[in-house]
Amino acid sequence: MAVRESYKTTGFVLRTLSYGESDLIVTFYSHDFGKLKGIAKGAKRSKKRFANVFEPFSLTNIIFTRKSRDMLAFIESCDIIDHYHAIRQDMEKTLIASYFIDLTDHFSPEGKKNEKVFQLLRDFLLMLGKEKASDATVRFFEMRLLKLTGFEPALEHCIVCKTPVTNGNSYYFHAGEGGIKCSACAQPQRYEQPISAGTVRTLLLGKDMDIEKIKLIALTDSLAAESRSILIGFIAHVLGREVKSLKVMEQVRKLCT
Amino acid sequence: MKAYAQPIKKLISELGKLPGIGEKTAARLANYILRSTEDDVKKLAESIIEVKSKIKLCRICLNLTEEETCHICHDTTRDQEVICVVEDPDALAAIEESGGFRGTYHVLHGVLAPLDGIGPDNLRLGELVRRINEGHVKEIIIATNTNVQGETTALLLTRMFKEKNIKLTRIAMGMPMGGDLKYIDKMTISKSLEFRRGM
Ligand SMILES: [Zn+2]
Ligand SMILES: [Zn+2]
Repeated sequence: MAVRESYKTTGFVLRTLSYGESDLIVTFYSHDFGKLKGIAKGAKRSKKRFANVFEPFSLTNIIFTRKSRDMLAFIESCDIIDHYHAIRQDMEKTLIASYFIDLTDHFSPEGKKNEKVFQLLRDFLLMLGKEKASDATVRFFEMRLLKLTGFEPALEHCIVCKTPVTNGNSYYFHAGEGGIKCSACAQPQRYEQPISAGTVRTLLLGKDMDIEKIKLIALTDSLAAESRSILIGFIAHVLGREVKSLKVMEQVRKLCT
Repeated sequence: MKAYAQPIKKLISELGKLPGIGEKTAARLANYILRSTEDDVKKLAESIIEVKSKIKLCRICLNLTEEETCHICHDTTRDQEVICVVEDPDALAAIEESGGFRGTYHVLHGVLAPLDGIGPDNLRLGELVRRINEGHVKEIIIATNTNVQGETTALLLTRMFKEKNIKLTRIAMGMPMGGDLKYIDKMTISKSLEFRRGM
């Protein structure tokens, strides 16, 4: 019989799925193993062993065993490091944090370690807890996650004629081709919405700028709307599906404004 | 499950669809049904069908009922000015059984669950808004669960009704009765301190 090896890591809870009468299958984004799925025996019943640990976006210490890499991990213990109290007390922030982990889940294959993605979640959840929730925070998270997972859209220059983005010009985003075209190359249809060079520059800036500076950025309504439409459209195109938590965020926004 | 005859397999698979029922329990239930008298089995089957055809939602609070309005909304001794908002009929039943509440309810039939795509459009909010707009409500007690989903839902309700001239309260969170601090998780302890009360 294969020996179960024991491992230790830290990870964010991405989602839980009820399994049978008393167990939960928990998906984490872990520091050492990337996306990790494990079974927590008795987690639905015993409030002692796993009390309040499997809540979305909580950061936890996990000890697990498994027979082989492709098998479900058996969660031996799981303790809270941070349950992001400040985020959980704010509806908008909770919805944004939920969106962050939803996206991370969609863009991460199981078992592929990516420390930078882990750090991205850690940095952005920390910032979300401390600073005001803003559109810039959400868009810059999307840009960075796309970049780290190899789906960065080409925004530096027109994907056809390679002319760098120039102030004052209009551009068109082509999700299918993964980048922007200048108005000469795009041959836009009447229904297509142009995006400004300013929006393109903002997204490029947000992709790499120092995390501490993000809180200083406030997008104007038009910048926010344009960058949103580019990134949301692109993400939906890459994933081939809608992101559920985004839909919920929209519904709440509509109801509460 | 291979060893079972087809009709038993079918029953096991139907029972296995029920929440909290795994294959082993489903097989045990199926065997129990098989051993029961014809009469008992008929009663069980009829009650399943009856529940589906007779039970509807109370016009006022959305509790499960056989009538247009449930027995709680019907009861004139209950305080109609206080509404306790719960996630589902089970939560309502739990509070009712405690016997400590004399107001009325509103059942949301769900809770915000962003990761499952359940947003405000999927909750039964309209009936509550209507009752509040009628102007006879003085207090809303938000009794959703204390996990992230329940808390987010509580924040949503607070946001929706904070401009109305009503008292909004949230059920207390913290130490369970008879609890021992040594064995209580961090989160519960920090909530207990946050929601401490004067003596
Ligand atoms: Zn071009
Ligand atoms: Zn009723």
